[in-house]
Amino acid sequence: MEKFKLDNEPKIKTGFTIPDNYFADFSKKVLLQLPKEEPKVISIWAKNKKWLYAAAAVLVVSMSIPFIYISQNDSDEVSNAAIENYLSYHSTLTDDDIVELLDTEDLKELNISADLEDKEVEDILTEDLNLEHYITN
Amino acid sequence: MQEEKDFIQELLHPKTQNVAFQKLIQEYQRPLYCHIRNIVLNHDDADDVLQNTFIKVFQYLNGFKGESKLFSWMYRIATNEAITFINQKAKRNGTTSEAMQTRIVENLQADVYFDGNEIQMKLQQAILLLPEKQKLVFKMKYFEELKYEEISEIVGTSVGALKASYHHAVKKIEDFMKTN
Repeated sequence: MEKFKLDNEPKIKTGFTIPDNYFADFSKKVLLQLPKEEPKVISIWAKNKKWLYAAAAVLVVSMSIPFIYISQNDSDEVSNAAIENYLSYHSTLTDDDIVELLDTEDLKELNISADLEDKEVEDILTEDLNLEHYITN
Repeated sequence: MQEEKDFIQELLHPKTQNVAFQKLIQEYQRPLYCHIRNIVLNHDDADDVLQNTFIKVFQYLNGFKGESKLFSWMYRIATNEAITFINQKAKRNGTTSEAMQTRIVENLQADVYFDGNEIQMKLQQAILLLPEKQKLVFKMKYFEELKYEEISEIVGTSVGALKASYHHAVKKIEDFMKTN
C-alpha cells in the first residue's frame, strides 16, 4: 500500500445498498405527506378577514361616538329645540314676559298669516270656548 | 433556463402542481438520496431526511426566486436537512456530531444495507478524519461525481477553494490508507 493513490485505484464505491423497490413507492409516500390543508387555511383566513375588517370598523366608529358628541357640543350655538325645551320646562318666564320682549318688528313677522276668511275666524271662535272669555272681557 | 422557469410555474400552479411535483421527485429522488445517504450513512435515516427534503421543497417553492438553479437549491436543502439531522441525533445521544458519525461508521458492518469490503470500510474511516467542509466536498466530488461548478453553486464556495479543499482531502485520505 506504499503508493496508494485514489486516482490510480479502481473507483471505490460507497458500499451502500438500497432496499428493492424503494424508489418505486417513494413519490407516493411523499405526496401523502404534503400539507394539502394549507391553501384552505388561507381561504378561511380570507373569508374571516371580511368580518374582521367589519368588526374593526364598528369598533372604530363606536369608539369615536363620544368624540363626535363632544365636538358637536363644543359649538357656542345652541339649537332652537334646546332653547324651547329650556323655556317650557325650566323657565319661570310667563307668556306676558315674552310678549313684553317682542317689539313691533317681531309683531309684524308674527302677523303674516292673518289673511284668513271671516268665516273661518268665526268658526274657530265659536268652537274654542276658551276664547269666549277673552273676547267678552 | 426557460424550460426550468416553465417547470417552476407548473409546480406553483394548483392545477398542474401534483403532476409536476411527481415529476420532480422522479427526477431527483436518486441523486438526492445518494447525497443524503453519504452524509447520514444509514438507510432509514436517509429515507427520513429525503422525505423531509421534498416536503420542505414543496413548502418553500413559493419563495424560490429562481436566482439559483432548481438543482442546486434542492441540493442545498438536502444538505442542510442531513447535517441538521446528524446534529440533532448527536444531541439526543448527548454527544458531538463527530463522535456520532464515528459511531455510525463503526456500526456500518452490522448494517444490512452496507455490503462494503475492507477497503470501502477503510475509506469511510478515513473520511471521518476530515474537517466537515472537506468531508462534504470529497463525497460530492468522489462518490457523487458532481462538477466543481455544481458543487460551487450548492455550497456557495468558489471553484478554486473547492479544488484546494478536495486536494487536501485526497491527500489526507491517501495518507490514512497508506499507514493503516
